[in-house]
Amino acid sequence: MADYFNTMIMPMLEGAKMTILLFLIAIAVSIPLGFLLTLAVNSRFKPLSWLAQTYIYLMRGTPLLLQLLLICFGLPLIPVIGEYLILDRFVAACLGFILNYAAYFAEIFRGGLLSIDKGQYEAAKVLGLNKWQTTTRIILPQMFRIALPSVSNESITLVKDTALLYAVAVPELLHFAQTAVNRDFTIVPFFIAGIIYLLITLVLTMFFKWLEKRFKFE
Amino acid sequence: MAIIEVSNLKKSYGKLDVLKQITFDVNKNDVVAVIGPSGSGKSTMLRSLIHLEEINGGSVRVTGDYLVKDGVYSKAQEVKKITSKMGMVFQHFNLFPHLTVKENLEIAPKMLKTESISAIQQRSAELLKKIGLSDRATAYPANLSGGQKQRVAIARALMMNPEILLFDEPTSALDPELTGEVLQVMKDLAEEQMTMIVVTHEMGFAKEVANRVMFMDNGEIIESGHPEDLFNNPQFERTKAFLNRNLK
Repeated sequence: MADYFNTMIMPMLEGAKMTILLFLIAIAVSIPLGFLLTLAVNSRFKPLSWLAQTYIYLMRGTPLLLQLLLICFGLPLIPVIGEYLILDRFVAACLGFILNYAAYFAEIFRGGLLSIDKGQYEAAKVLGLNKWQTTTRIILPQMFRIALPSVSNESITLVKDTALLYAVAVPELLHFAQTAVNRDFTIVPFFIAGIIYLLITLVLTMFFKWLEKRFKFE
Repeated sequence: MAIIEVSNLKKSYGKLDVLKQITFDVNKNDVVAVIGPSGSGKSTMLRSLIHLEEINGGSVRVTGDYLVKDGVYSKAQEVKKITSKMGMVFQHFNLFPHLTVKENLEIAPKMLKTESISAIQQRSAELLKKIGLSDRATAYPANLSGGQKQRVAIARALMMNPEILLFDEPTSALDPELTGEVLQVMKDLAEEQMTMIVVTHEMGFAKEVANRVMFMDNGEIIESGHPEDLFNNPQFERTKAFLNRNLK
């Protein structure tokens, strides 16, 4: 029995590793990228702003699954250049998640910026701070603080969205659970997968709770 | 000696003239109270002086230098130099919520490198003592009362060593029992000969502390004078009507 449990759970833990790796890469790149997108949207150089807004619209307006399928299976079908666009599945998946989540984070940060009172800018101005000093020392710290609960929420969604890798055949947690269910005709692997997701999101939730407390400013 | 000279200041939003040909001087060490009904343009006038509002015509001179001359602003660097001679205290305090009291006071002088760090820290300690909040130096604004916040905001403005302090309804957002502590700090500043322009609804303060009261209505200065004269012997109907409503 213990042996069976091992043969079932070991691959799932391997899959969980893949899930966590994708999560870490996606979050580490999409948050800074999202922030840059926010700056682009707010840019006074209109073409850049429009470009960023269009990008966000496209990424939020179409299903992530569609984007993943497009990157994994669609790009190689493009005439002439398609053969150079055959990416490693995991790389392709990372790319898809990063591009998609950056758009969501951009909107979260934009919301944070919008909720900062204009009095903050005025106070900084009359104290003689220039634009750069105002942005980096006054506005951004507050923006990140305001955005924190939404970033936390989005991160948890990202953990669960990694299950979409199933559709592009990257062997992550859900893939191994499904394999075990089919092979052994038992429901247990689904529960185990559920518990592993819960554990990951629990750690995340606690981490963000800690961050929120650390930056409570009270 | 006039430290601020405003002539024919005009400001409009589209077709609506919010300030019409405003002209007045403020002398060094004056405490000017600006009173008038809401929407009369008092705040807009005050904010124009420190370039939080762009005006559409007229001139503003501060210590002899033109911020705006006949509707044309000086170069950005000059504007910055001129506005740095003034400090501003806002109705809603506008403290930086992510910084402690001490950090609120020290951030601007530290960023602008006006003095050595030790000199800055020494002055922030002195100012906190002066406003009676030495024990709250490491508190965040969220943990202060409204009156304490406004006192910190005044200290923050003083950190920049302004020659003139502008107050935009400094007590209007406070509970009535908290206005006293803020007015006391302002009174102390007046006694130290600080030049101040105070937009206020506090008739008591205007009477007691100001040496000049300006009554504004509908984008114009209707009359201005020594508080005793203006309060006891207003020359214009509009002033009388306003005082009747507000002195009861």
